[in-house]
Amino acid sequence: MLEISLKIVLVMISIALIMNTYSLVRGPSLPERILSLDTLYINSIGLILIYGIVQASSINFEAALLIAMLGFVSTAALCKYLLRGDIIE
Amino acid sequence: MNHLITLPIILPLLLATLQLLPVFEKSIERQRVISLVGSLTLVIVSVALLMSASAGNVTLYALGNWDAPFGIQLVGDRLSSLMVLLTSLLLLSANLYASAGDDNQGRYFYPLMMFQAMGINGAFLTGDIFNLFVFFEILLIASYSLLIHGGGKHKTSAAVHYVFLNLVGSAIFLFALGIIYGTLGTLNMADMALRVRELNESEIQLTKIGGMMLLSVFALKAALLPLQFWLPRTYASAPGPVVALFAIMTKVGIYSIIRVQNLIFGDSAGALTDLGQDWIWVLALGTLVMATLGVISAPSVKRLAAHLVILSVGTLLVAVGFGSANSLSAALYYAVHSTLAGAAFFLIGDIIAEQRERSFDRIVAGRSLAQPMSIGILFFIAALTLIGMPPLSGFIGKFLIMKSIDSSSALVWAWPLLLIGSLAALVAFSRAGSTLFWRSNGKPDSSKASATRKFIAVGILLSAAPLMSLFAGPITQYTDATVEQLQAFEHDPTQIMAKGVQQ
Amino acid sequence: MLNLFWIPLLTLIGVFVSLSANRVSRTACAYATAALPAAALAIVISYAPSVLDGEHFVEQFEWIPAVGLELAFRLDGFALLFALLILGIGLLVILYARYYLSEQDNMPRFYAMLILFMTAMLGIVLSENLIQLWLFWELTSISSFLLISFWNHKSEARKGARMALTITGMGGLALFAGILLIGQVVGSFNLTDVLAQGDLIRGSELYPYILVLVLLGAFTKSAQFPFHFWLPHAMAAPTPVSAYLHSATMVKAGIFLMARLYPALAGTDMWFLIVTLTGLATLLVGAYMALFKHDLKGLLAYSTISHLGLITLLLGLNSKLAAVAATFHIINHATFKASLFMAAGIIDHETGSRDMRKLNGLWRYMPHTAMLAMVAALAMAGVPLLNGFLSKEMFFAETLQQGSLGALSWILPVLATVAGIFSVAYSLRFIHDVFFNGEPINLPKTPHEPPRYMKIPVEILVALCFVVGIAPGLVVAEILHSAATSLLQGETPYYSLAIWHGFNFPLLMSFIALLGGIVVYATRKQLFEFQAQFPERDAKAIFDQNIKRIVDAATRIYGTLENGSLQRYTMLFILSVALFTTVPMTKLINLEGARPLLPVDGISIVATIILVVSTLVTLIWHRKRMIALIAVSVVGLIVSLIFARFSAPDLALTQLSVEVVTVILLMLALFFLPQVTAKAASPSSVVRDLGLATLIGGVMATISYAMMTHPQTSIADFFIANSKTGGGGTNVVNVILVDFRGFDTFGEITVLGIAGLGIYKLIARMKLFMPSADLNGIPWSNDHHPMMLATVSRALLPLALLVSAYIFLRGHNLPGGGFIAGLVTAVALILQYIANGVDFMRERSKLNYQWLISVGLIIAGATGMGSWLFGYPFLSSWFDYFYLPGIGKFELASAMLFDLGVYLTVIGSTLLILGNLGALTTHARPEESK
Repeated sequence: MLEISLKIVLVMISIALIMNTYSLVRGPSLPERILSLDTLYINSIGLILIYGIVQASSINFEAALLIAMLGFVSTAALCKYLLRGDIIE
Repeated sequence: MNHLITLPIILPLLLATLQLLPVFEKSIERQRVISLVGSLTLVIVSVALLMSASAGNVTLYALGNWDAPFGIQLVGDRLSSLMVLLTSLLLLSANLYASAGDDNQGRYFYPLMMFQAMGINGAFLTGDIFNLFVFFEILLIASYSLLIHGGGKHKTSAAVHYVFLNLVGSAIFLFALGIIYGTLGTLNMADMALRVRELNESEIQLTKIGGMMLLSVFALKAALLPLQFWLPRTYASAPGPVVALFAIMTKVGIYSIIRVQNLIFGDSAGALTDLGQDWIWVLALGTLVMATLGVISAPSVKRLAAHLVILSVGTLLVAVGFGSANSLSAALYYAVHSTLAGAAFFLIGDIIAEQRERSFDRIVAGRSLAQPMSIGILFFIAALTLIGMPPLSGFIGKFLIMKSIDSSSALVWAWPLLLIGSLAALVAFSRAGSTLFWRSNGKPDSSKASATRKFIAVGILLSAAPLMSLFAGPITQYTDATVEQLQAFEHDPTQIMAKGVQQ
Repeated sequence: MLNLFWIPLLTLIGVFVSLSANRVSRTACAYATAALPAAALAIVISYAPSVLDGEHFVEQFEWIPAVGLELAFRLDGFALLFALLILGIGLLVILYARYYLSEQDNMPRFYAMLILFMTAMLGIVLSENLIQLWLFWELTSISSFLLISFWNHKSEARKGARMALTITGMGGLALFAGILLIGQVVGSFNLTDVLAQGDLIRGSELYPYILVLVLLGAFTKSAQFPFHFWLPHAMAAPTPVSAYLHSATMVKAGIFLMARLYPALAGTDMWFLIVTLTGLATLLVGAYMALFKHDLKGLLAYSTISHLGLITLLLGLNSKLAAVAATFHIINHATFKASLFMAAGIIDHETGSRDMRKLNGLWRYMPHTAMLAMVAALAMAGVPLLNGFLSKEMFFAETLQQGSLGALSWILPVLATVAGIFSVAYSLRFIHDVFFNGEPINLPKTPHEPPRYMKIPVEILVALCFVVGIAPGLVVAEILHSAATSLLQGETPYYSLAIWHGFNFPLLMSFIALLGGIVVYATRKQLFEFQAQFPERDAKAIFDQNIKRIVDAATRIYGTLENGSLQRYTMLFILSVALFTTVPMTKLINLEGARPLLPVDGISIVATIILVVSTLVTLIWHRKRMIALIAVSVVGLIVSLIFARFSAPDLALTQLSVEVVTVILLMLALFFLPQVTAKAASPSSVVRDLGLATLIGGVMATISYAMMTHPQTSIADFFIANSKTGGGGTNVVNVILVDFRGFDTFGEITVLGIAGLGIYKLIARMKLFMPSADLNGIPWSNDHHPMMLATVSRALLPLALLVSAYIFLRGHNLPGGGFIAGLVTAVALILQYIANGVDFMRERSKLNYQWLISVGLIIAGATGMGSWLFGYPFLSSWFDYFYLPGIGKFELASAMLFDLGVYLTVIGSTLLILGNLGALTTHARPEESK
């Protein structure tokens, strides 16, 4: 049961990743692209966790943790750039 | 346990980092004192290393107490000790020269010079090819920052070329290391020499690819045709004391070529023996042609100096490319000579530029120099030795190299080019000298005189020209023994694989 | 012992004596200068009796034994003759120069250079080793350069000096190559060996090259046609220099060399043809040109060229008698020409002019000088009872003996007589024009006799001309014999030095020459008119033009190659890499190795697609910087996912944290870049770049594929096996980083630290333009620090620090370590900068990032050095396990301390860069910060 649902989730995450990429390429505005990137980060977290469950290994969970934290910083910096141009002032 | 061999690396690092701390940070005077004392100590350390090496000892040092090939090792043999001493001498003179005021033109001058020396010394001493890459990075990143010392548009834009090309070079270096590690499975150069002897056919070809890639990176550092075009502008716009230390940078590339060619791709390497040697020979001849053109057309003293550096690279690599024991020994002599003389000439160019106001170091009639006599004498000595005129070291070097290239098929190419290079230098120097010193207007303005320590710095470097000629006998004995040692290492690489201290 | 060494050594010391004699009177300076050469002369004379008895002396001293280079001196008859000439005439010139130089001239400098030249010249003639001979040979070129340019404020002196240096320098290099070739054939550079191996050299296939190269050296030095043109321009030198260098000594160096190597090189048809014809051409050209020079010194210069040609011609004849005649003429020419130059110098000195169109009738003003000059000039013309007559007779006789040209052999004596005619004519002109022929015209000074002592050198030399001319057997027979013997390295043939040989052909030729000379001089008006039809060719201008042409051509060629284009240099580099690697790649038959490929799964395909798409987006939209930046972030993310997928969690973590720092760095930099995008590349360069990228990309991809499919064995197995037992950690990657290869890490954090310092150095003084609106012209928002962001960020800081502490501590055993932890901390702090601003942080954080770098590096270094205390090499690690109640069993390792150094350096460097790059704008915006 778990195996099947894991497979379904992996397929869905893959589709989500593809769609994120599509949205990122298509744009057309910068906020949309930034949003796509942020979503890509979140989906990657999901991907790593699910994959960890499939492999029964927690070795990569810290990577997910870092994506969660650093992805936020990255998005925040991008937004600040849109807002002010100068991100550290 | 003797840790002397680590000092040429650790000591500059400590000197550099200490100067970032509050005690030294705010006082340029304190920085000068510690840097000069430190450089002098380094010279003493290097001399001690050289003495030990010239007695025939090979110092092996297993860093982290891991036996080779698993850990990184330092190798203090005749070749590396000689190069380290050369670096220390340059560092001392450059720092002395800079202490007259150039050091105050921007931040971190001494720390960066120390880091640079650390990188260069490390590159000479390491026995591990990845560690060589690391030290290349250290010396490069320090050189990037030193190039822009003193600021200005020219320096920055010339530095951009240098930085970009070297970043591409580092990327290729990594590729090459990846390939070589893939086929040989080891990074210790002596161990690599052992492993190349046991490769199968497709591994040999892959190693060739990696080896040739490595050669192209070293050729970029050495400024071999067609990878030398970046050098004149970069060197000519760099600050004087910095570029004096840079005189050794091309030699780092040449050193790496010599090391790799004579250890890993030496006579026992089977199909990989003398990998790329033909290329080196042909391209070195081409380098001589290009440098000759450059020397003749040089519009300023520093440009002339830069093209002379390339000329010396061509000369050296002709000897390396010819590949006999004699020619290699001659190349080592010439390397020492050309580094010191080149550095001295850059500093002379810097003094000239400083004293001539608007015309700087351009070879045009202009305001009279403040100290025409002393500068003239230094210029004259530097010119003689760089042209290869007797009785100074340049003559001995050129004689040794030409004599060592003794097969008629090779000398037909090498001799004329070497001699024409000398003639071009002669023409360029007599033109530059008579313009700068004799076609000047106005009386010398002694208020513009340069600091005495600048002349002392140049004097230290230039004193090598007569001394190396006078003691050419012992020095050639040393270089001959160095080549013998390299051959012995190639014959049995296990003798330079360090063992740690037993627990 | 080593007495010969004292000869050049004494004169060398004399250089410094002269230099230091700058405080004393001019006369004292001259005496001080003369002292050591006189001592050297004494040594030479002390050897003379034994040398004249046929002995020769060789002394040597090892210099570079490995290549057969030793300091070796040789004194035989020929060397003795030259040494006497050099020192004897040298001393006379020193005396003469004392009165010639004016108060303004720097006399010590002049003497020093003159003595330096004397040393070099002595070195040449006394050298036993050919390389050493070359050393002194070049030294004469250098010192002659300095002497010609002694009056360096004069343009003609500078140019004349440069021309002489360039021509003789060129010849010198050819000679060097020739000597090296001789060394290769003979196996030694020692004259004794070389002279003994004449047949070996002449038989060698290298002989033609050796001969041409050596002769190039000799001909340029001795001003032989067509290299003669530098000599007249060297006359810009002070006259003592001309008298010494350009008549008696330096120009004889080429002759000396030919004579010295005569036993080794002469005797072939090639030698005969080249040397004889060159000598003949020089003889004629010199004699003819001399007649038309209005400048006294110019006349003497061409006359010198002509006489040098005569000697060369004699040496070329391959006859022993001719060689004797050549030796004899060397002596004679040196004496009469040196005295003539000195006389010309006196005239110049006392009248202020050297122009023969102005100098007339000086007999009345300076009869003594005129007498001396006339005798010397008659010797030059070859008038009987003077020394010039004797050697000229021998010369004529030798041209008659020559049969090598077969049916054309008559041409040689005829041309020799023609040269003799001109020689008489120009000598007559020298005498008649200067001393008679009416009254002086517009001279700057009223002529009068020079100081007494100035005439003494001339008197001595003229007396020699007389004595030799009248009683040759008494005066020169012995030295001539010994010189000729050592020149020929064997017995000399019979010759007679008598003045009267009866009525014969040579006498007839002399008679024709005398008579013809008088006729030519009488008809000089017509000849001058004839000569005037030819355009004046100024060798200096031509030489200058040629040099300029070479420089221009070099500049043009070089300029098109080094055009300052970074694109081109990069292209050359990439092409070189591609070229170097493609050759072995074509030899690689099995691209795919034995290693089995892994199965493909869906997720990998998706990741690859995203990677490719986002890379393409970056490339296509690289001018729209923000889009490219976002796309690059995706590339980074996918790469870290790939690392995670292929079991490299450490790499994944590192890649992720580096990625964020990079993106922030890029944004900080992007802000300052010009808003307008750069001009699009031309289509051709797009095609070029695309081709280049495809090429190198293809090469790299092929190699990567080959590498990954080939099985490998490596030292990695050792690391895996020893990580826990030897390094005390289960995370092999971390143990490699901080232990096995800790030295690399040590180096890399140094790189990071330097990068921080370097970037701060670059930006510290920078003033940059700040755009006030974004790309689309929309002004920036006024909300500097949005409250939501500020609040969330502050909450994030402790969390992030906790995470980094966790990652740091577990690093040795599980993915993590100081580097990643440092980056996480740095990013968390940067977030505070972004969210709250520089001022906010400055109030709260007293961290000095530069010190942080320093402390980090010192901790890492000190950890390494700590092992010295225990007798282990740098960076040897130590670890042990401990137990504390409440915490449990834990491990302490020196590697952790090292990792702490890494951690601090990373934080310091990252923040030094980002914090300061951000702060650039803070100060530059005063109107807003209010």
